[in-house]
Amino acid sequence: MASISIRNVSKSYGRTPVLHRLEIDIADGEFVSFLGPSGCGKSTLLFCIAGLEEITVGEIRLGDRAMGRTPPRDRNIALVFQDYALYPHMRVRDNIAFPLLQQSIAAETVRGQVAWAAELLGLETLLDRLPAELSGGQRQRVAVGRAIVRNPAALLMDEPLSNLDASLRVRMRTEIKRLQKELGLTVVFVTHDQEEAMVLSDRIAVLDGGVLQQFAEPMTVYREPANQFVASFIGSPQMNFLPGPMAGGALDDRSLLGVRPHDLVPVHRAPDGVLAVEGTLALVEPAGPVTYLDVALADGSLVKATCADPRGHQPGERLTLAVPRHRVSIFDAASGVRTGALAVATGEDSNDMKAMAHGL
Amino acid sequence: MSTTAPAMTGPAAAPAPALRGRRTERVAGFAYLAVAPTLLVVLLVVGVPLGYSFFLSLNRTNPITKRWIFVGLQNYTALLHSTDLLQALGRTAYFAAFSVIGTTLLGGVFALVLNERFAGRGVLRSIVLVPWAMAPISVGVLWSFLFAGEFGAINGLLNDLGLSALATPWLGNGFRALNLLALVHVWNQAPLTALMLLAGLQSMPASLHKAAMLDGAGPVRRFLSITLPWLKPNLMFISIIATINALMAFDVLWALTRGGPGNATTVLAWLGYLMSFQFFKFGEGAAVLYVLTAISFVLAIFYFVVLGPRRGGAPAPAGTLAGLPGARRVRSMAVLPPFRPRRGWLPPATARAAARIGFWGVTALVLIWSAWPVVALLLMSLMPGADLIRTPATFLPSTLTLHNFIAVLMPDTVAAVNTSVQAQRVPFSLLNSFIVGAVVAVVSVALGTLAGYAFSRNAKARTFQAALWGLLLTRMTPALTLVLPYFIGFRVLGLIDTRLALIISYCSFLLPLSAWMMRSYFEGVPLSLDRAALIDGCSRAKMLWKILLPVARPGVVATAIFCFLASWNEFLFALILTSTPKAQTIPVILAGFLSQAQFYTYGPLFAATVLSIAPPVAVAFLFQRYLVQGALSGAVKG
Ligand SMILES: Nc1ncnc2c1ncn2[C@@H]1O[C@H](COP(=O)(O)OP(=O)(O)OP(=O)(O)O)[C@@H](O)[C@H]1O
Ligand SMILES: [Mg+2]
Repeated sequence: MASISIRNVSKSYGRTPVLHRLEIDIADGEFVSFLGPSGCGKSTLLFCIAGLEEITVGEIRLGDRAMGRTPPRDRNIALVFQDYALYPHMRVRDNIAFPLLQQSIAAETVRGQVAWAAELLGLETLLDRLPAELSGGQRQRVAVGRAIVRNPAALLMDEPLSNLDASLRVRMRTEIKRLQKELGLTVVFVTHDQEEAMVLSDRIAVLDGGVLQQFAEPMTVYREPANQFVASFIGSPQMNFLPGPMAGGALDDRSLLGVRPHDLVPVHRAPDGVLAVEGTLALVEPAGPVTYLDVALADGSLVKATCADPRGHQPGERLTLAVPRHRVSIFDAASGVRTGALAVATGEDSNDMKAMAHGL
Repeated sequence: MSTTAPAMTGPAAAPAPALRGRRTERVAGFAYLAVAPTLLVVLLVVGVPLGYSFFLSLNRTNPITKRWIFVGLQNYTALLHSTDLLQALGRTAYFAAFSVIGTTLLGGVFALVLNERFAGRGVLRSIVLVPWAMAPISVGVLWSFLFAGEFGAINGLLNDLGLSALATPWLGNGFRALNLLALVHVWNQAPLTALMLLAGLQSMPASLHKAAMLDGAGPVRRFLSITLPWLKPNLMFISIIATINALMAFDVLWALTRGGPGNATTVLAWLGYLMSFQFFKFGEGAAVLYVLTAISFVLAIFYFVVLGPRRGGAPAPAGTLAGLPGARRVRSMAVLPPFRPRRGWLPPATARAAARIGFWGVTALVLIWSAWPVVALLLMSLMPGADLIRTPATFLPSTLTLHNFIAVLMPDTVAAVNTSVQAQRVPFSLLNSFIVGAVVAVVSVALGTLAGYAFSRNAKARTFQAALWGLLLTRMTPALTLVLPYFIGFRVLGLIDTRLALIISYCSFLLPLSAWMMRSYFEGVPLSLDRAALIDGCSRAKMLWKILLPVARPGVVATAIFCFLASWNEFLFALILTSTPKAQTIPVILAGFLSQAQFYTYGPLFAATVLSIAPPVAVAFLFQRYLVQGALSGAVKG
């Protein structure tokens, strides 16, 4: 196992810049996700770490070794490809054994290690099949098996779950997390799916257009997004943005207020310490455990709020919405950078919410 | 797949609801209509002649009285006892082994080089294709002058380089002639192998090699463990086609050695030709050619068994729940030796530099191998006649002139006063070649598209599977076996010496090819497109015309190119079925030129050869992309 440090790394394909001055330090045994919109350079960064692509500027270190132009085969890094890249003509057994056979390891050890990986991933009955004879989830497990079988310094995964159905996905991600904990692996995980990233990661690196936007723990990324891009990319439905003057006080048009729909609830009477806005209910969208309310404000803009119980709410009705002030992020309207919250968090979050919900 | 194709009930037939659980597939009437022309043509023009030539092989004719006598298997038993046949068999085996191994190795190197990304790759791809795009008869003309003893270009080059001691009449020695003949065949055929291998390489996902790199495999291990197994299905087709093309090699033989010196290069195909068309022993000739046909079928089956797709295997998984991870845990991880970065015998930077130099070296060799002979031909066609007969021979022209081209293109002008008869026929033969090629391309693409569509959409139906194998079988039938029945048939019909006869013959062996190619192309077009069009109210025919054809355009272009090239370059049928300039195509004129060549006609001969390869070369340069794509179908005509 090893730490990975990415120092001032830039990468361009010909004249197209893809990665821009990235600084990311990943500790030994840490689980880090790269999250970002399609085409932001996530795969490219993984390939750079693995040595499959050369970086244009900067340095990548594995543990205490600077990689320079070390070829991929000398880095001891395993990568689970998005399309799995299983060798189509080799049986599952041979696929898993392939990386071990490239090092001079005794046949007995290889056999034992393959059996271990197969058992860990529940592949015992599939060892004699060809990849074409496996389902998507099984292929993915084989790909993971091939990656962990040789005890790599770091395990990189490029959207390994994207081809699976929803329930298998949830199950596989639990498996991956368990494996990582059990083996103490350093894992870099690329995904489109923010929920996956939130659940799995110790830290999340949010990328956009090849630039690192934020690198922090999942709850920090959610609660204290570094800028408007992160704020709107993370969390579903998207964060509401309100004009600064709505908060009263010293804020003017140069600021924006960011409020997550989940923090904004209808109340009868706004208690102290909350930011309240009034509007007309435009649309009620039940989404299972919660119901989303689209509310039109006086200036015509729409905000999304949530409530637990939609009964009694009719479109056209006047509503007061409230959000605890410390849950309101303030962004600089020009640069998009988060400058702070409306208030410092005090006491237990959940108590505030409960109080408000009771006030309903 | 348990949905059936809907029956066509009218112009706006809506798809019938899918019938589930039926064992046999129902096939639409439209599908039968679509394959009928192709199957009919194949049956008539391959099946019947094949049967007829088998009948011939059971007879003997008296050349003087022209009487036919039925002799049963006597022709065959006589052959078994003749040393001629055994010797020819040995030479054929040697020639075929040399060619198959040579084309596969060389084609493999070409494909690996051309699969890399580098500046000028597109141009190099086109250049590499040129030797294959040329007519084999042009290849023969070209190499016969490269190899020629007194005035040959190779000897000229050796003289120029101060290596006169090495100059020799290259085709003078029997065994050397056989080897050189095989080498020329390899020169002509290796690009085809390269094309098909390249298509295979291009379809390989890039992630496979990346994964293997990360798994610690070096270049050699990756080639052996990843690339080769990936190409295995292509290699089956390639071996079959290379073997058949080697067994049937005729044009190059005709131009270069004509079986000699002595009978050192008399292979089976040549023996069959000699018997039938020189000694007019049609029965015995047919028997020899039938032996050849049998050998090619047997070998094809052999390759199929050895290299063919693995059948059966484990059943598809019943569900994704089989073997869920983490149920019980007994085993613990083995203790692996710590990862040691490998120690190469060269420092990494040096190794990289060496690899680059090696790559460019190989690329340069590929370029020289493919281009030099053609450049030499071009130079010779631009030399004044006197340069070609200088002694000692030299490769460097004294001046460059267009005289030779004027002589063949405008035989009536003053500049061309003393041109030969053959030279005067060149312009009209180019026109013949062009008309025949264009008509053949249009007809076989039109019918082949229909058939290919029906085959691709009814892949599961028994009748269609059988028919498809039938088509493939015709691909393995040597043209030499067919040409005699054709000759007799066309004589009965009074079509000898007409372009129509050539068109009919070429269509007959190009139709299966074009149906096969279009079938593989349509297989890549999703079925949902058909369904959408039918739901939107198209008739079957309109759907094919308006929706599928535009989608399949690259396939159509590739198929048309292959058909045009094949008929432009065809020599054997043109030689046998034509006798006057009225219908003679350019390969026949070149051949006539070659056999009557006088020292003062070498220049025009080269000019005519350059003209004969101009359209194929243009195609190689303009449509290189389509050719690579077309090769994906794996059934390319040699
Ligand atoms: N070989 C290449 N040559 C030129 N540009 C490339 C190449 N590979 C990727 N790019 C570009 O680099 C950018 C980043 O690509 P990358 O594959 O890393 O994105 P990604 O974040 O993994 O996207 P996705 O989530 O869709 O997989 C894209 O804009 C892509 O177009
Ligand atoms: Mg990607």
